[in-house]
Amino acid sequence: MKYRVKHITEYLYSDSVSHCYNLAHMIPRTTRRQKCTRTDVQVSPSTSFASKREDYFGNMSYHFEIQRRHSELEITVTSDVDTKPQYSEPQLDFGMTVSDARKLLAESKGAELLLAREFSLTSPMVRASDFLREYAAASFAEERPLLSCVMDLTSRIYKEFKYCPESTTVATPLSEVMANKRGVCQDFAHLQIGCLRAMGFPAKYVSGYIETLPPPGQEKLVGADASHAWISVFSPGEGWVEFDPTNNCLAGEQHIITAWGRDYFDVTPLRGTIFGGGENPVLNISVDVARV
Amino acid sequence: MAQNTQPTKAYFPPQLTYKKTQGQAEEAFDENGEVRSHWTYLLDSIKTLGPEALDDRQTKARRILRDDGATYNIHGDEYTPNRTWELDLVPSLISSEEWGKIEAGLLERAEMFNLFLRDIYGARDLIRHSVIPPEALFSHQGFLRACQGINLPGDHDLILHAVDLVRGEDGKMCVLTDRTQAPSGAGYALENRTVMSRVLPSLFRDSHVHRLATFFQKLRSKLASLSLSLDQPRIVVLTPGAHNETYFEHAYLANYLGLHLVQSGDLMVRNGYVWMKSLDGLSRVDVILRRVDDLFCDPVELRSDSQLGVPSLLEVVRAGRVVIANPLGSGILENPIFLKYLPQISKALIGRDLRLKSVPTYWCGDEKDCQYVLDNLDKLVIKPAYRGSGQRSVITDELTTEQRKELVANIKQYPLQFVAQPLMSASQIPTYIDGKLQSRPALLRSFAVASEKSYAVMPGGLTRVGIEQSTFVISNQAGAQSKDTWVIASEPERVGAQDVDESATTVREADLISLPSRVVENLFWMGRYAERAESSLRILRTVFMMLNGETNISDVSKRALLRAVTEVTVTQPGFLEASDEMIGSPEEELMLVVNDPNRMGSVRSNLNAMLNCADESKELLSSDMLRVINDIRDALVELDSALSGGLTSAPEEALDPFVTGLMALAGLTQESMVRGIGWRFMEMGRRLERGMQTTAMIQCLLVPEVSEPDQNVLIQGLLLSLEALISYRRRYRARMGVQSCLDLVMMDTNNPRSLLYQLEQLNNHVSALPRVNETRHELTPEQRAALEVETLVKLTLLTDMSQREDGARQKLDQHLERVTQLLAGISAFISDKYFDHRESSQQLVQSVWENNS
Repeated sequence: MKYRVKHITEYLYSDSVSHCYNLAHMIPRTTRRQKCTRTDVQVSPSTSFASKREDYFGNMSYHFEIQRRHSELEITVTSDVDTKPQYSEPQLDFGMTVSDARKLLAESKGAELLLAREFSLTSPMVRASDFLREYAAASFAEERPLLSCVMDLTSRIYKEFKYCPESTTVATPLSEVMANKRGVCQDFAHLQIGCLRAMGFPAKYVSGYIETLPPPGQEKLVGADASHAWISVFSPGEGWVEFDPTNNCLAGEQHIITAWGRDYFDVTPLRGTIFGGGENPVLNISVDVARV
Repeated sequence: MAQNTQPTKAYFPPQLTYKKTQGQAEEAFDENGEVRSHWTYLLDSIKTLGPEALDDRQTKARRILRDDGATYNIHGDEYTPNRTWELDLVPSLISSEEWGKIEAGLLERAEMFNLFLRDIYGARDLIRHSVIPPEALFSHQGFLRACQGINLPGDHDLILHAVDLVRGEDGKMCVLTDRTQAPSGAGYALENRTVMSRVLPSLFRDSHVHRLATFFQKLRSKLASLSLSLDQPRIVVLTPGAHNETYFEHAYLANYLGLHLVQSGDLMVRNGYVWMKSLDGLSRVDVILRRVDDLFCDPVELRSDSQLGVPSLLEVVRAGRVVIANPLGSGILENPIFLKYLPQISKALIGRDLRLKSVPTYWCGDEKDCQYVLDNLDKLVIKPAYRGSGQRSVITDELTTEQRKELVANIKQYPLQFVAQPLMSASQIPTYIDGKLQSRPALLRSFAVASEKSYAVMPGGLTRVGIEQSTFVISNQAGAQSKDTWVIASEPERVGAQDVDESATTVREADLISLPSRVVENLFWMGRYAERAESSLRILRTVFMMLNGETNISDVSKRALLRAVTEVTVTQPGFLEASDEMIGSPEEELMLVVNDPNRMGSVRSNLNAMLNCADESKELLSSDMLRVINDIRDALVELDSALSGGLTSAPEEALDPFVTGLMALAGLTQESMVRGIGWRFMEMGRRLERGMQTTAMIQCLLVPEVSEPDQNVLIQGLLLSLEALISYRRRYRARMGVQSCLDLVMMDTNNPRSLLYQLEQLNNHVSALPRVNETRHELTPEQRAALEVETLVKLTLLTDMSQREDGARQKLDQHLERVTQLLAGISAFISDKYFDHRESSQQLVQSVWENNS
């Protein structure tokens, strides 16, 4: 599927900013199932220095610095992306079993498996803990295919947790999400990553966009599409496979990837240091995913 | 020959002998209990020297260290946070022959670690090829993913490599830890050497010790070679600031190497380059010698709550537009988990095992090791894999049962985060304690710097000894003493032409080129606070003398004098609206004005502020100035007890040391400071402040109309405070007159304490400041104000000044009011133009969890 994604981020400051330094993860990366054919970044006010590079995880990161005084910052990233689906559900039931996968991960000397183990470890925002292991265990059986277990876990998160946009912030810890059984896509992704790591399997955080289709007979609203997050799990048999616990499915053609990492910390869409700016800046984000 | 068998006879002067401790490896003795040949001369010399002479030398050494400001700050020590560096006068000796072997091992290790660092932030073949388990690297917080792919120009990424060594029971040197983040200690080693060569000159000279200067020359030239700029490279030392435990060393090295000492706020990124904010604008920085831990260096990409970093620094590094040594990310090599795998790593990278062995290390992330650790807790030191995690190394027999349980639970829950090593009993070394030579365990930190195709190793290094004979953990934070380390040459070392005298050379290039704005601002305020403290001391001294003097002074005079104290020290309300009772017994308030640390304007708070400014600009002060500053610091510590008798009996005596100290400082500013921009700002601050204080004093004491006897008392008080009484008497005999007094204290430029003298000097300094637009002839606002105030005072008509109206000398009052206004204006103009006014920064995204990982 071919898409044009327009992602606008706007900061309104209560006090002017004299200068700032930012790091954005907003340019879609190229992966096995997706290709970014064109991308354009507009920053207002204009930057005094900007550069684009590939980071540790292979994501495109965009650095910029603004040296003129401003009270509004706007970044518009427009990208053309060509996506393909990955697996379809029936295939999940015939893959490598949990016990085989675990054994291979521990013993194999293959570079891909060794490097994947980085994603089984505690990361800045996802710490291994007993409640995650306990919650995950119900979906796992030693002789069941690993990916089928992961799908089961995906469905359980989807069914047992409530999607509530205002209920959490970037800083809400997983223990709270677990206790209140509610959150947003980012929380569900972190939760599932924590569960998978607790069971000993490598899992990545994937950030990106998802195309939302309007209800039948209605026109699609510009800006209604959302930035989104889901996960990718590593099976020695099948490689990296993406699941979306917020939508209870495997990630498909409608899932457009920007970046992946150990968790949100590695792929924060926009971070940076500003000088001045006052308190409580207002952040507006609009995403539009259009088929082309 | 065994030294300790010689009989002592009664008529010999006391001697110092050293006996071998049974059952311990000894540096000075071989396995048969004989003194090793390279120790003979030293032990003989010390024996002859005797305890009295050695005590003398020790005192001298301590004084030099203190005068040099050699401190090591102990965390959490409120009373003496700046502790003088401890040096034991018995050096650690290593024979040339043995050093040759150690040095070869250190070179090999540094080269291997250099390749290791490249692999970690490059291809990671050691993981791909299963040489080390992925978790050994990926679970460590010192692995900074943002630093992937950073390469330095030249053959080396690892510029500085320090190693802590002990001699094990087998007599071989063994590595305890590697220091690759921002290794400290080389500067202290140099300071130790400087002191030793001064207090034991003949012993030092006759021992043929390998010199240290070459190491520092190589460091300097390596840093310069890292610059990509074609011009003279600008190299800075980045320090976390005066509160860091090794700040002395940062300033000392910066001075010795001729580099700028900067803090994060002195640097900024602009247009993709790093700049130093200096008086003449921004100057580009090419190379940074880093003493800030990598994780704190860039809040945009690394720890976002860091106040010690420069936003976006890492992106400039990536573009190759600034070079940092050691590179960001190099702290990962300190990961003790790697020690377990070093033989394999070394084979993979250089094809052979390392010559220098490391301490056996067990990693709880390895199932077998973990079991071993849990089974043998008592024989091991348990260390956190990551030093910054706030956990300390523990020896289990120091733990309570409760703590032990907690440790075991922690290990089981987070096995990846723990390593364990056997308790190493280090070999003993003679150390002079309580008048005797006693044995103490020794730890040697060696230093290597990248040089040409390989590394250059400092001959010797920094030796530290444990506080007790059986100490296992030797660290400066635990109060360890240090020693100079002498590699004894078999013949005198040839001093090459480019070998500089290591004790005296201080390149003061930093004075000649632009300084960071922060340093200049601190010098300006140092001048102001010093002068402010001095004026306060002088008026206080005068008031004490007059109140306790033999002639009784009237209440009117008393009130006016006490008012002047409040006005000059700016400690309102003070005596301004004081009751008769308070005027009658002013001691309590006066005591607060002298000694209350929390009261703005008190002598103590002004002196504290001055000392802080001095710490921040330490590298520009001469060693004599530092000595005087130390004296003032010491006198402040003593002040409480000096004042314990209250203010009734000769309180001026308690204040005299400060006046003397401040005068000495002022004198040294003139005599020992290079006439650079820093000097000019300090002088400007001084003149400005003295001008303001003198004006305030005249205003308080001469404006109010009082009876003639009172007038005489107040004139006398003014002259006394401005140190002009003697000149006045010589000139005018005993007649006290307002006009003649004003002539002397306001207008006489032959009097260096007169107002006009300050204003002339101030005007000269302001005119000499660097200007942005050199071609324009229009005066800057500060120049206009300086010229105006000087002219205003020059044009004073004394007859007008003495006119009285409504009980006061109104014209004098208005005149002085205008002077005060103009001086305040000059200060504001200078501050706006030359000092840094940073807005505070904040993060767009608050990452609260990253620190817990």
